[in-house]
Amino acid sequence: MNCESYDWKAYALGELDRPARTEAESHAATCANCRNELATLRLTLDTLSTLREEEMPRRIAFVSDKVFEPRWWQRVFSPNFAAACVIAGAILVHAFARPGINDAEVQAQIKAQIDVAVNKAVAEQTESIVARDNARYSQVYKIATGLERQ
Amino acid sequence: MIFREVEDLDLIAKARRGDVEAYNLLVSRWEKRVFNYLLRLVSNREDALDLSQEVFLKAYRNLPKLDDPARFAGWLFRIAHNEAFSLLRRKRPEGELGPELHTAGAAGSLLPMELSLAVESALKRLNGDQREVVLLKVYQGFKFDEISEILECPVSTVKSRLYTALDLLKATLAPVVLRGES
Repeated sequence: MNCESYDWKAYALGELDRPARTEAESHAATCANCRNELATLRLTLDTLSTLREEEMPRRIAFVSDKVFEPRWWQRVFSPNFAAACVIAGAILVHAFARPGINDAEVQAQIKAQIDVAVNKAVAEQTESIVARDNARYSQVYKIATGLERQ
Repeated sequence: MIFREVEDLDLIAKARRGDVEAYNLLVSRWEKRVFNYLLRLVSNREDALDLSQEVFLKAYRNLPKLDDPARFAGWLFRIAHNEAFSLLRRKRPEGELGPELHTAGAAGSLLPMELSLAVESALKRLNGDQREVVLLKVYQGFKFDEISEILECPVSTVKSRLYTALDLLKATLAPVVLRGES
């Protein structure tokens, strides 16, 4: 390929794909004219980049602009509102669809469960105390017997 | 940059649902770029600011029509381009947008450094079409095909305008650069 077939402007502007870039770079490595062309282009682009970006005299703001406020239906039908509707619907469906429960029966069941649990705990504790006391009595008996023998 | 794009997409989605705060954030990210692009096109700060306001207002109203939110930048600059040229046409009804239109304004007070002044001056020597492709490519970083969509012209036209502009800028700026180096 000759020098004219290389698009150095596209190269300098980052518009070539990787294979084309690689091929162009291989050519530039052996061609002083193309290297000069590329260097001049880069110098021009670097110079252009020195143009200062202007600060805005004032910010563009829309917060207080009525035009930019959402419509009433946009406010009402927000994602949060939709989620709340779904949850409320689910609660209502559950409340109406679940089988009826007798409160007295439930309370009796709970009371019975509590009684069982309490009785079990008391029995375990009593057993533990009795065992401990027996051990102590046994120890005291042994000491007293020993003293008597002396 | 990827994160920035993702966040922009999120903001666009929220703005499309009427979230003004999300749109305000989007505006704050893009307003300076749009303002500078317009400033270089119309060479008047007040006009550029008014146009920027109009661009973001139109963009907000038309957000639901944006087919691909990932192309927000090109779409926004397309609106800016239309607004700028609409103003220039109003100021010059005969339709000729010659370079003298763009020499108004106190460039000297805007650009204190000599090199910046030289660049500003060199850009003003280009015609409107050439200057705009330079602004979109060199200063805004759009690809050829994106510029083609913004300006609604073939990529070949974009390249032709840009390459001619670069040759002119190279010739204009070379003496300045060489003087600075000597």
